Amino acid sequence: MKSRKKSIEKNRSKNNSRRSFLKLSAAAAVLVGISEKGQAFTIKGSPVKTNVLRPPGAVPEEIFPSKCIRCGRCVEVCPYKAIRPLDIRSGIYAGTPLIFVKEVPCYLCMKCVEVCPTGTLRPISQEETRMGLAVIDKHACITWNQELALCRTCYNVCPFKEKAIKLNELRPVVIDEYCTGCGLCVHGCQITQQNGKKAINIEPIYAYRPVKW
Amino acid sequence: MAKRSKRYTPLRLLTLSSAFLLILVTPYLNMRFHFNFIQGWFQSLSIGNLWFVSPLEGLESILTSRSIYGPLLVGMLTPITLALLLGRVFCSWICPISFLSEVTDWIIRLFTRKKHRPFGLRLPRRVFWFALIGEILIALIIGAPIFVFLSPPGLVGREIMMITLFKTIAIEGVVVVIVLAMHVFSKRMFCRYFCPLGALLALIGIKRRLIIEADLDECLKCNMCKRACPLGLDPQKGEGTSPYCWNCGKCTEACKASALAFKWREF
Repeated sequence: MKSRKKSIEKNRSKNNSRRSFLKLSAAAAVLVGISEKGQAFTIKGSPVKTNVLRPPGAVPEEIFPSKCIRCGRCVEVCPYKAIRPLDIRSGIYAGTPLIFVKEVPCYLCMKCVEVCPTGTLRPISQEETRMGLAVIDKHACITWNQELALCRTCYNVCPFKEKAIKLNELRPVVIDEYCTGCGLCVHGCQITQQNGKKAINIEPIYAYRPVKW
Repeated sequence: MAKRSKRYTPLRLLTLSSAFLLILVTPYLNMRFHFNFIQGWFQSLSIGNLWFVSPLEGLESILTSRSIYGPLLVGMLTPITLALLLGRVFCSWICPISFLSEVTDWIIRLFTRKKHRPFGLRLPRRVFWFALIGEILIALIIGAPIFVFLSPPGLVGREIMMITLFKTIAIEGVVVVIVLAMHVFSKRMFCRYFCPLGALLALIGIKRRLIIEADLDECLKCNMCKRACPLGLDPQKGEGTSPYCWNCGKCTEACKASALAFKWREF
């Protein structure tokens, strides 16, 4: 009698654990099902886009969400509050750090790369930083689309002026070899277009480089 | 009458509140004074050059990104050693959820004036291991340690940081409220059955050195230890040596006959 009761109990607990496992797998199936077209196993597309960048030294976007443990130490250490964590609405990118350079650019203090415990932000120097590439919109920039307009804000604020940005007949030109993509020029630029972009924008072209194992 | 057993609760509450104070104050110090000596919270914490990384977070990062980073392993070393020797002591002595649960208990006691409240729901204990396996499996399937991001011990620190730095509360803080509601419904329900971090620490500390030993000759079978245990274990039947026990020492205090005591197991 007692043994029978025991076996029933055993069965019940087995059922329970199996049920919990099935529930978990169902939840996983639902989560994967939400994924957008063409991007297998991601719930939403990457939040990295023009003027929205990863902090310095970031690994490629392909493995960024899997490597980052969302500990938020880069967010906490940033003295300019430039790095902001995403919240749960960003799907699998929730909790990962981003820099919105239009609001607060990166001042390249290189504190965040030193505190990252997982190697998602690799310790690198200021010059090696490649958060993106500044691209001048020649239709929007007043020095390019007007005669005799004097503006060189982007040139003035650039931490690597005469290297990353040069003046060609008083018009700014970006040298892609040296541009770190810190976004100081975007932050300084006085012209905001209709679509929210500035006359100079940071394109995160390095975020989608192939992963080196 | 045997010797009076030592009281561990004041010491434990002191540790819990100082650990909570640590994560409460450091975001402000970091923001206001750029005091980076102590940094982070219980997902990853640094005190000077000493780094801690939570084992579950580190493990998932390694598994999902399929690559190993040296400093990450070194950061995981201290918590793993602690769990190997002492078991789940992080859960009962440090975890901020534990602190908040104790505070909730205290508030409930203020209103009901009852020393013990009913235990509530009991599930088979193996659910605990399935929570860990399920969590790691889902993380591997979606390819991101996203459930680590939702694990309450780290979430408390994250919310405190969000409030201090950006004056906002992130939506996922609801998880903490849900966990505390579960605790009100049934004592330490999340910690007992669903916390993957607790399960991993329990798994690491399966052969831990610090155990609670029951002296059956002295035992009066009064069931006081069973009532005192926040995890619903039965120490008089030797469950103080099981992997589920988190060495909080409540049963040793509850024991009238001093039959229960901490013991350093030798091999």
